[in-house]
Amino acid sequence: MSSPSEKNESLWLLIVSPTIWAGHFMFSYITAAIWCAKFAGSDGSLRPVRWAIAVYTALALVGIGLNGWSGLRRHRFGSEPLPHDSDTPEDRRRFLGFATLLLSALSAVSVVFGAIVALFFKDCR
Amino acid sequence: MLVGASALCLVGCAGQQSALDPAGRDAERIAHLFWWMASGAAIIWIAVACLTFYSIRRPTAAMSARQARLFIIGGGALMPTLVLAGLLIYGLALLPELLAPAPEGSLRIKVAAEQWWWRVRYRLPEGGETELANEIRIPVGEPVEFELESHDVIHSFWIPALGGKMDMIPGRKTRLVLHPTRTGVFRGVCAEYCGVAHALMAFDVVVMETEEFTSWLNQQSQPAAETTEPSALHGREFFFANGCSACHAIRGTTADGIVGPDLTHVGSRMSLGAGTVPNEPGAFIRWIQQTDKIKPGVHMPHFRMLPPEELHALEAYLESLK
Amino acid sequence: MKTSPGDPNPLDHEPPAELQRLQEERLLKAWAAPKGWRYWSEVNNTQVGLWYTATAFLFFLFGGVLALFIRIQLAQPGNDFLSAETYNQVFTVHGSVMMFLFAIPIFESIAVIFLPQMLGARDLPFPRLSAFGYWCFLIGGVFLCGSIFFDAAPRGGWFMYPPLTSQYQPGIGADIWLLGFSFIEIAAIAAAVELIVGTLKCRPPGMRINLIPLYCWYVLVAAAMVLFAFPPLIAGSMLMEIERAFHWPFFDPAGGGDPLLWQHLFWLFGHPEVYIIFLPSVALIAMIVPTFARRPIVGYGWIVLAAVGTGFLSFGLWVHHMFTTGLPGISIGLFSAASEAVAIPTGVQIFCFIATLAAGRLVKSTPMLFTFGGLATFVVGGLTGVMVALAPFDFQAHDSYFIVGHLHYVLIGGTIFPILAGLYYFFPLINGKKLSDKLGKAAFWITFTGFNVTFLPMHLTGLLGMPRRVFTYPAGLGFDTLNLVSSIGAFVLAIGFAVILWDVVRPKRKEPLSERNPWGAGTLEWLQQMPAKPWGVRSIPEIDSRYPLWDQPNFLRDVDQGRFYLPDAEEQGRETIVTTAIDAQPVQVLQLPGPSFVTLWAALTIGGFFIFGTYHQWGFALLSAMAAVGVIFYWMWTGTAIIPKKSERDVGLGLKLPLYASGSASVGWWAMFITMLADFTAFVSLVFGYFFYWTIHHDFPPDPTPGPGVFWPCLGAALALGSWALTALAQRWNRQGRAAPFYAGVLVAASLATAAAAALLAGPWLTGLDPKTHVYPAMVWLLTIWAALHLLIGVLMQFYTLARRLAGKMTAAHDTDISTVTLYWHFVAITIVITVAVIAGFPLVN
Repeated sequence: MSSPSEKNESLWLLIVSPTIWAGHFMFSYITAAIWCAKFAGSDGSLRPVRWAIAVYTALALVGIGLNGWSGLRRHRFGSEPLPHDSDTPEDRRRFLGFATLLLSALSAVSVVFGAIVALFFKDCR
Repeated sequence: MLVGASALCLVGCAGQQSALDPAGRDAERIAHLFWWMASGAAIIWIAVACLTFYSIRRPTAAMSARQARLFIIGGGALMPTLVLAGLLIYGLALLPELLAPAPEGSLRIKVAAEQWWWRVRYRLPEGGETELANEIRIPVGEPVEFELESHDVIHSFWIPALGGKMDMIPGRKTRLVLHPTRTGVFRGVCAEYCGVAHALMAFDVVVMETEEFTSWLNQQSQPAAETTEPSALHGREFFFANGCSACHAIRGTTADGIVGPDLTHVGSRMSLGAGTVPNEPGAFIRWIQQTDKIKPGVHMPHFRMLPPEELHALEAYLESLK
Repeated sequence: MKTSPGDPNPLDHEPPAELQRLQEERLLKAWAAPKGWRYWSEVNNTQVGLWYTATAFLFFLFGGVLALFIRIQLAQPGNDFLSAETYNQVFTVHGSVMMFLFAIPIFESIAVIFLPQMLGARDLPFPRLSAFGYWCFLIGGVFLCGSIFFDAAPRGGWFMYPPLTSQYQPGIGADIWLLGFSFIEIAAIAAAVELIVGTLKCRPPGMRINLIPLYCWYVLVAAAMVLFAFPPLIAGSMLMEIERAFHWPFFDPAGGGDPLLWQHLFWLFGHPEVYIIFLPSVALIAMIVPTFARRPIVGYGWIVLAAVGTGFLSFGLWVHHMFTTGLPGISIGLFSAASEAVAIPTGVQIFCFIATLAAGRLVKSTPMLFTFGGLATFVVGGLTGVMVALAPFDFQAHDSYFIVGHLHYVLIGGTIFPILAGLYYFFPLINGKKLSDKLGKAAFWITFTGFNVTFLPMHLTGLLGMPRRVFTYPAGLGFDTLNLVSSIGAFVLAIGFAVILWDVVRPKRKEPLSERNPWGAGTLEWLQQMPAKPWGVRSIPEIDSRYPLWDQPNFLRDVDQGRFYLPDAEEQGRETIVTTAIDAQPVQVLQLPGPSFVTLWAALTIGGFFIFGTYHQWGFALLSAMAAVGVIFYWMWTGTAIIPKKSERDVGLGLKLPLYASGSASVGWWAMFITMLADFTAFVSLVFGYFFYWTIHHDFPPDPTPGPGVFWPCLGAALALGSWALTALAQRWNRQGRAAPFYAGVLVAASLATAAAAALLAGPWLTGLDPKTHVYPAMVWLLTIWAALHLLIGVLMQFYTLARRLAGKMTAAHDTDISTVTLYWHFVAITIVITVAVIAGFPLVN
């Protein structure tokens, strides 16, 4: 097993999942805000927005899942247990994978929290 | 625990302005939510404190790496996630009800906030509107919808005993629906910092039986009572001579100022200066003489230069406006 | 602990004593602070960090005294200790000072002191930037605090809601707030640039991303948050100042504006801000706990999750400050959900700390006492935070004293107590002496008691119906006793702080020096000798562990004897090692600039712009701005991208490193990239404003669209893109050594950019848009001016590269200048395209 080079590593992968959460959050909020302000009126139905949020949620969870899975694979790289604190490229890779995995889990929970909201509101009030 | 806390609170939480002494459906729901959350928070805090204490004073060997990991996953991640999810669902389930509009035909009251008082307009059952100020009376057991607006700065309309608050934002219209459940006298305040006299921008809220309310509203929508008492008649002259009518309206007279609060029935109000001074004998005189002392920043000028007899006459007139 | 096989070992023999002496002499010469009045030209981060911290604490005391005034006034109903006008200034200045002049600066100043030490770097990459930031902070802070003595202070609350602040408060108070803080925010962004590049690029060799001290993770996250949180506020302040000074109606409903836009921009800053000050304080706990548990932190990865996760989630909370503004239920719900979610990572880190204590053996100490106090308090604040995040409860609690109680539990528990823990922990690094354990313990119990007596009752006061920001309250509503108790508590709290202050300032000359690493910690900052040497570490170590002082054998000896990297200052200049971002492979020796007054001049001239602006002396303001441009160019010209005499430096252990790096390998390029991210965020905030108005108006843009038309903006965009392309080409020509095309290219690019700015401005000008009449023309003008200004700054930069090459300070091989300028132009190109798409394109599709 060859050492993973720094060139193949990226700090950006760490923040993919939280960025997806941010996208999910912003799109949900903006869709609802624009729909209520420009189209539905203050008493209008939220039906299309709830569908949109359902679609955003599905997409976001798939993206987060993929990123989290890639994190998990790197975390399991070579089957060394935590705490990934050796001065080796392998442990660096495992650590970044582990952090990616955890951030993906947090992002997924946050996305689900956001999606729950759509279940409770039927109109723009 | 909830019962215990509520019982304790009967002593300490009562008050005309207390969110924990609810007199409305919304305030009740929220107080209930609060007691649940406060109890839960207390339990969690004690649990965390005990865990910390135990971990530094433990009798057994140090926690292993595996145990520590399970501890973090269980206590730090899973437990909060589940508790918060439950709480979120509870809160969200409550929201649509709190935000729902009042049913068709409910009482609607327009409230416009000004620096630093409240212009109140009742929609009359027979059509039309009547303008009052700084006091709101509503019937018990019926939803009432407040249509809120402001023409200067941002204010916020808050009657803690009846329910949550709602901001009054220039250029926007907001609404708040309340459901009073018991009669009584309560106090509302401006909750958004709105300038110099923000602290002195309050109003009285009276929840009444429906029949009582109907006759009160009927009475308030009438023009000002004609007085025959001589000193009140004098006061009426001074009222116009000193230019009070430039800012204040008294329906049934030529006073039609719109800058300040309507005074048609000011004598019947519970307080003066937007909940600042109780309407007792002598209150009008103090208010007219020391307006700026009682309420710093107020836009109404003081009339310290008026001779005492004029002041007494003015008071007699204003008191006669029941 | 496993080490990577390729890592070099420290020298296996002690360097000769004479060599060590000479090396130390040269290091001292390079790093000694200037003497006499020139001392104030020092730029070394450790020195500047000290000034910074001391000044921030002074502002803290000032804010604390104001808090006591508040508590005296509220001790009984109907009190007249302060007039309403004064009270409103006092609470406004109290909040503003604590937030802008204490909380943010203290995070940055502590980081600026300790980051180099924790990273075993001699200094951070931009010492002059830190000094510049300090001077901005000092000037702005004194200006703001001073205003209260002239009854001229801001009085609109620290949140400055319009229209109260934009139309109903004449006088300069609001201008002082808007311009003064914008000025200080620039300093904060400067520090953020320093901290990010420092953490990513100035680590000791071998300190891979999985080994960096947790403190650095937190600082990295908090600094990154500054980049995205502060620009919305700067944009908002700009809108409000323009409304106040020139009557463009951004927040005035009569002109189509909306006060809610300010609330969005303010809280888009304001909520992340809470975490920006909270995270670096928890970071101190993450350093202290392992030391006293005598073991490495448990759950390193989990804490990184918590820091990064909180950083993100905190940007999804801002509307929870606006739950009562009448937004649709679903919007309220979304922000409520995110506000609940953010509690999860917070819980994770607290459990990591408890687990570390459980897995280790606690050594009792004063820092730990403050740590426990902080955690106990912060958990209360966190739990009440979860409560108010739930919208229904917030409808009651919002703007009541419940919030005052909550926020002080969060800020004092989450920030002040950890900082005090840090003060007792790190103090030996400051002057070689320990603080008194006895006084510390006493101070802890006094502050802890005083704090709880002050703020716990406020939760009840609020629920009994007492609103915030009131200068008085009537008797008989149940507030009287509670307020009196709070006021008494505040004085107890103040006594506690006085004890701490005494402990810090009392003369310690007779006390013995603290031993080295007095707490037995494992991280690099404890390498420091007592008292400290100005050069930081004696030699820059190769790192194999998260706790090298615990794990690496003979570590202290090897560092001290110069057996690691860069034990010498060959040319008696200030130098440090630059490493790669992930694995910390050494790639460059960075020559750092020495002491200079140019930073002070830059701060004075930029400060002049803001201060003259406050008094609406626009002529002087403009002069000052021009002087500032001159000073900054002098600074750049004399202090950056200097071509070294030698191309390489032998840093020891058989490693030779280049002294010059260009493109994305240079720290300057990174600084530009990070600065432009902040700049771009401000721009996006303005664009957000445009679309915000679109959502609230039925006719935005008005029909028929009055301007700026399509032709002029598109012409401007085309010219600007031409200039951008030519700049990028010029960079290539320069690298190829083709002088003539380079000069011609830059000259043409500059003319195109100037023409582009003119064309952009011609759009609204020729269509006669009047920004005072309505918010639509105001917004179009603002976006256009923003774009044009960026083009003109770009032109200055283009001429700068021209001059640099003419002067021989930039060559084909040494091309940092043009590569940094090209990076700037990439951002300008995006800005222009978006601007034109919005102002010319959107009216077509709407």
